[in-house]
Order: sequence, then structure tokens, then C-alpha cells
Amino acid sequence: MSAKNAVLGLVIERPGYGYDLARRLEQRFGSSAFAPTGVYSALDQLSSEALVRSAGKQGEGGNERAAPRTIYEATPKGIDRFEQWMLGCSSLAPVRDELYMKIALSKPHNLGRLIELARVQEEDCLARLQELKRPFSRARGGPRAWPEVAVLLVRDAEIKQLQARVEWLQKARTIMDKLSAQASGTQGGDGVA
Amino acid sequence: MRLSLERVSKSYWRGPHETAVLKDISLSVYTGECVAVWGQRGSGKTTLLKVAAGLEAPESGAVNFNGQDLCGMSRVALVRLLREEIGWARRKGPESDELEMLDYVALPLLKRQTLRRARRRSAAALARVGVADCSKGRWADLTDGERTLVSIAHAMVRQPSLLVVDDPTANLDVLQREEVMGLLRSTAEQDWLAVLITVPDMPSMVHAHRIGSLSDGRLLVPSGATPERDNVVEFPKHGRAAQG
Repeated sequence: MSAKNAVLGLVIERPGYGYDLARRLEQRFGSSAFAPTGVYSALDQLSSEALVRSAGKQGEGGNERAAPRTIYEATPKGIDRFEQWMLGCSSLAPVRDELYMKIALSKPHNLGRLIELARVQEEDCLARLQELKRPFSRARGGPRAWPEVAVLLVRDAEIKQLQARVEWLQKARTIMDKLSAQASGTQGGDGVA
Repeated sequence: MRLSLERVSKSYWRGPHETAVLKDISLSVYTGECVAVWGQRGSGKTTLLKVAAGLEAPESGAVNFNGQDLCGMSRVALVRLLREEIGWARRKGPESDELEMLDYVALPLLKRQTLRRARRRSAAALARVGVADCSKGRWADLTDGERTLVSIAHAMVRQPSLLVVDDPTANLDVLQREEVMGLLRSTAEQDWLAVLITVPDMPSMVHAHRIGSLSDGRLLVPSGATPERDNVVEFPKHGRAAQG
């Protein structure tokens, strides 16, 4: 997954220079979430698309030994693009962590959409489970060949991952539902049926 | 045959607090299919089964079984329906430790049939689920997998239209689970039953024809999982293989 949207979200939260953004990215998403150089390539891409721009340099006229650092801020176009990304669907794979990032960078007014995205992703997990269905054709008590058992175990591992994902989605959705209801002062809920 | 729950809601009172267990749930189960509902602990799975089987009444919504409204039915008619048309597989086992499984499975038939005939049908039911070798065994001697299968035979012996099983894969390993779930699917298809089960883990759902996820009182069914039953020809109940 590209760091582009994450960096854009961080710049919108607060302007910063490259190293500062890399540090904030690691604090927010962990050290293994993105490559160390991902922030700089993301800033290059965001600049070329006019989604961020220079807001001046840090260190100019100050410490002569330190190179001045470009401070980046979001452009109105960048803010619009980020809002579009926040509203967009989050596919389960290969960008399965995108929803985490959206939740981490979201504001209270995003809760309704995040609840919907969590529901859609839960449905995606169930649909994927349906795809993993395999016909049963064994008599009780008969011997099982290892390849058959191995397939069962691997399928179990795949499904258990889906189950863990769904369990988290359900808990996250429940909490977001409650917070959304509190915020609006009305009964929350996404009308799942 | 069709079981349908339409916008069913159910709550429980725990002290001064009302807890909504089922919220506006709709679900249909047709003859010849096995529907599995997964949910985390305390998600309301067992309550859903009890409402579906007529054991508990919902606060709102409708439960329709073969064209009959379970919520508006007299108690006598409901008891008769539960006895003749709905099989609930209980994993508690017999009250007596001394009862052989052949007689335990025959118990539901004894009110209307002779012991000999009931035992014959019991033997057929035990053989159908693959535990004919347990007929002389006692409950305490059975493995978890065998207990599950005997419970299913006990529920099926009266040849119900709807088989309801709460958590049939509890305490089973992967291979036992595959056998039990494969049996439930084949039971639906070959014995022409509607089968509704709940499961605590998702791998148990892979043999079901349709699946759903119960969370926070709501049932989520994946899109595209709703069957198109208009073209399905439903055979009469007596079309199933006679036992005994």
C-alpha cells in the first residue's frame, strides 16, 4: 500500500517537513507499515499532483550548518482529494490495512461512513468465505490422505484469518455506532439486515 | 417447506436494563438447504434458533413455518408442530445414564409406536448419521463427535421438516467437524429437510448452502447469497426415504 494518502492526511493535520512526517507516520502506523523512504517519494508524488506545496523552509537564516528543510502544507485540491479517498470504498485485498489508516486519520464526522465501510468489508469477508466452500465427499470413519487434511488445515487458516478480521470489524463497528449515536444524540445503527 | 423470519426482534431484561438480542432480523430456510449462522459468544445465536423453532416468541416480527404463523398459533398446535415437524438436536443426552443409544433415539417415537418399531427406526436413524456402532453404547461412553451425531439422530428420528442444531461442532477437531457438517449438508439434500444451525467458528460454515453473521443483534447475509427459489420444485414430505 502506498504511503501517499497517509502522508497527505498527516500534512492536512499539521504541515511538516520530510523527516518530521516520517516520524509521525511511524508513530501512527508502526515502523513496519511503510518503507523508510516512502514519505519522500510520497511527497514527490503529492507535489507533482499539486496536492501539497511548500509553506517555506525551516532553518533559513538560522543554523548555517543545517540544510534548510522544506515545510509541506496541503493545497485545497489535496484536501478535496483526501476527503474523496476517505469516502471511497476500502477493498479487503491487497490494501487490507487501508481501513485501519482511515480510522486512524478520521474525524468524528467520518464515523457514519467508516461504519458503512466496516459493514461492507465484513460482507466482503463473508463473500470470500463463500468462495472457500468445498464439497464434502467422505464417508465417516474412513482414512484421510495427508494432502486432503493439509488442504483442510490451510483452508481453516484462511478462514480463521477472515474470522479474526470479522470479529474486529464487528467490535469496531459496535463502538463506532455508539460514538456516532452519542454524537448525534439519536439512535445509531447501520441498518444491517 | 419454508421457514421464514420477518423483521424479528427480541429483547431480554437483565435487572433494570433491557438488552436487545435480535434486531429486525429476516431469514428464510428452504427444504433441501442447510443455513449456518455464525456469531461470537453472546451474539444471540441460540435465541435466534429458539425463535425460529417456536420455542420463544419474538416481541415483534413474524415467524412463518410452512405457511403457519408460529406467533399466532395456539399452544396445543405449537406443541404438536414442535413434536412432529421440528427436530431440535440437543447435546445434553438422556436423563438416565443407563439408557442405550438405540432406546434413547427411539424415545420420541414411543408415544405413538411400539417399542419394536421405534427401535427399528432408531437403528435406521443411527445408521443414517453414521453411528450404528453406538446403538448399544451409553452416553458417557461416547466421544464428543459421536454425541453430536447421536443427538442429530435423536432429532431426526421423527422425520421432521426442519432440523435445528445449536453449535454442532463444539469440542470437535477439524476432521470430526468436517464429518458432522458434511452430514448436515447431505441430510438437507438427501433427506429433504430444511436445516438451520449455529456455529461458533467460521470454518464450520463452509459446508452450508448459505451463511450469515450475527452481530450486535443484527444478521448480515453476504450479497448474492439469497437463493432464487421460485424455480425449485418442492417434493412432498412422504417423498423422502421411509425409515421403519
